[in-house]
Amino acid sequence: MGQSTLTAPSDTLARPRVSAGSTLRVLLAVARKEWIIFTRYPTWVIAIIVWPVIFPLGYIFTAKALGGPNGASLHAFERLAGTSDYISYIVMGTVMWMWLNMTLWDIGFHLREEQMRGTLESNWLCPVPRLLMMMGASLAKLSTSFIFLILTVIEFRLVFGVSLVRGNVPLLLAVVLLTMPSIYGIGVMFASLVIRFREANAMVFLVRGLVSVFCGITYPLAVLPVWMHGVAQFIPITYAIRDTRAAALSNASFAQVAPDLAKLGAFAVVLPVLGCLAFAYTERRARRTGSLAQY
Amino acid sequence: MAEEIVRVEDLRKLFPRKVRREGAKPWTRVIPGRGSVTEPFVAVDGVSFEIRRGEIFGLLGPNGAGKTTTIRMLSTLLEPTSGSATINGYDIRKQTSLVRQSLGAVLTGERSIYWKLTGRENLEYFATLYHMPPRTAKQRIQELLERLDLAHRADEYVERYSSGMKQRIAIAKALLANPPVLLLDEPTIGLDPQSARNLRELVLEVRSEGRTILLTTHYMEEADLLSDRVGIIDSGRIIALDTPERLKGSLRQLDVMKLELHDYDPALDGVLASIPAVENVVSSPAGNDGAWYVSLHARDTRAVLPSVIELVGSRSGRITNLQVAQPTLEDVFIAHTGKQLRD
Repeated sequence: MGQSTLTAPSDTLARPRVSAGSTLRVLLAVARKEWIIFTRYPTWVIAIIVWPVIFPLGYIFTAKALGGPNGASLHAFERLAGTSDYISYIVMGTVMWMWLNMTLWDIGFHLREEQMRGTLESNWLCPVPRLLMMMGASLAKLSTSFIFLILTVIEFRLVFGVSLVRGNVPLLLAVVLLTMPSIYGIGVMFASLVIRFREANAMVFLVRGLVSVFCGITYPLAVLPVWMHGVAQFIPITYAIRDTRAAALSNASFAQVAPDLAKLGAFAVVLPVLGCLAFAYTERRARRTGSLAQY
Repeated sequence: MAEEIVRVEDLRKLFPRKVRREGAKPWTRVIPGRGSVTEPFVAVDGVSFEIRRGEIFGLLGPNGAGKTTTIRMLSTLLEPTSGSATINGYDIRKQTSLVRQSLGAVLTGERSIYWKLTGRENLEYFATLYHMPPRTAKQRIQELLERLDLAHRADEYVERYSSGMKQRIAIAKALLANPPVLLLDEPTIGLDPQSARNLRELVLEVRSEGRTILLTTHYMEEADLLSDRVGIIDSGRIIALDTPERLKGSLRQLDVMKLELHDYDPALDGVLASIPAVENVVSSPAGNDGAWYVSLHARDTRAVLPSVIELVGSRSGRITNLQVAQPTLEDVFIAHTGKQLRD
């Protein structure tokens, strides 16, 4: 061991000097840690570069095949979707779906990963609110998602010559920003459920399956049976996909999508609150049952 | 400040456990209400002790005795079912943040740090979680890295460290906020003998700086070497608590006979125990080659020795080694529970 001596333990240091600055530093430290670990697995970086282009291709070629020569059979699609630009239409939906999917995997499995690594307890031993740590992790995932969205826009411009940022750009940004709290609220709820049940694959598959069917990621909702419309209206991604398409492809105004924006706003309040409640329940339950140390 | 920095009073922890309902078919799934009932499992059963400032207090017991559950309750990771405890004057139920600020804890050893970060990055991260100002943290981290002989490897990924180095980083993390109390759960488990010895030296050095240490272990030599006082715990209860010397001294009226045998039949334990003046007999296999260890506590070894040799020789195996030894903490455990620490 080294020869230098340590500072003697101090009772004054036993009191945390918590300030807005130190709280912000905690938030950023968690985000930075997550980001560093993320970048130290290079295959993940490759995945977020390749995936945005690969994933929608299957749908695009299916649409091309169904559209027939020179898009002769696209009239029905155009009548229901309000646009004949099926590539942009599909990409808008798949990007939103991939964003939700990434969030469910990344944030939803964040606590579980910490638990399996053995670091969850050492984090929860620190004198900071545990929700703050969760928010820090979400911040890191948000930056990853942001890079993913930027890469998607660039790649589609280069590969397909399709510009995704067009039409009413302020509305497009407003929809994306208004969707964020809902998606991260769902993510935090998932993170809590994963700690509770210690197995989330089935739930993630269920949710993304529901979203892909009910929210119209590659087709207009008009083709769905009526009862499915009823379900779709309780999923925020439905409005997010519909409004990004309306803003980018149909140059819709704020007034035209105002009812949808109001619903997205309501989801943006309710879902994060539900996420926090689920997290608080999970934290309390973990303290009672000792499930933190269980794999 | 009070002399006692850790006070634990009648701490209990019950976990619900699903068990098969009596009479249920063996293949019935354990589902609440159908074929099973929920019964409380008592992990910690009314534990009480106090730790004085600057003391190393060892909780010694076999696996499943309740050591880790106790330490998890004290570190606020688990909520006690009943009872109370304070750390540095703070209530573990009501003042969890202040308790955590008063504690440094190494509960999951080398798994408590991030292997994909460097040693320094780990410490920087956890320093921020203790609200340390960046400049203070930087200075403190360098101080700890040098003190724990990690400075030369501080910027390498932890995954490249040896187990001993990982454990030292985990201890550095626990010392970051300069806490008055350190909780160490089985700190040397999984370490090679040299690393374990180095770590024990480190624990003694950390204590000499004025820190209070609560450590759990199932190694009786470790508890004996490090602890100022030892609480022996079994089935969730502290069955003996004193200095190692006094605990061993309590057996002085008994001799401890250690036998090594080949082809021993453990059924002979009861026969040996029936010899007058023999108090306890515990046997365990020493390996896969048919060797066995037998510990025998007797009031007068000289008187019982001929009977022991004759019984073993005539009924089971042969004695390859025999010694009359000083009592160890394991003998104290045997005397109280009738079983060995490793059982």
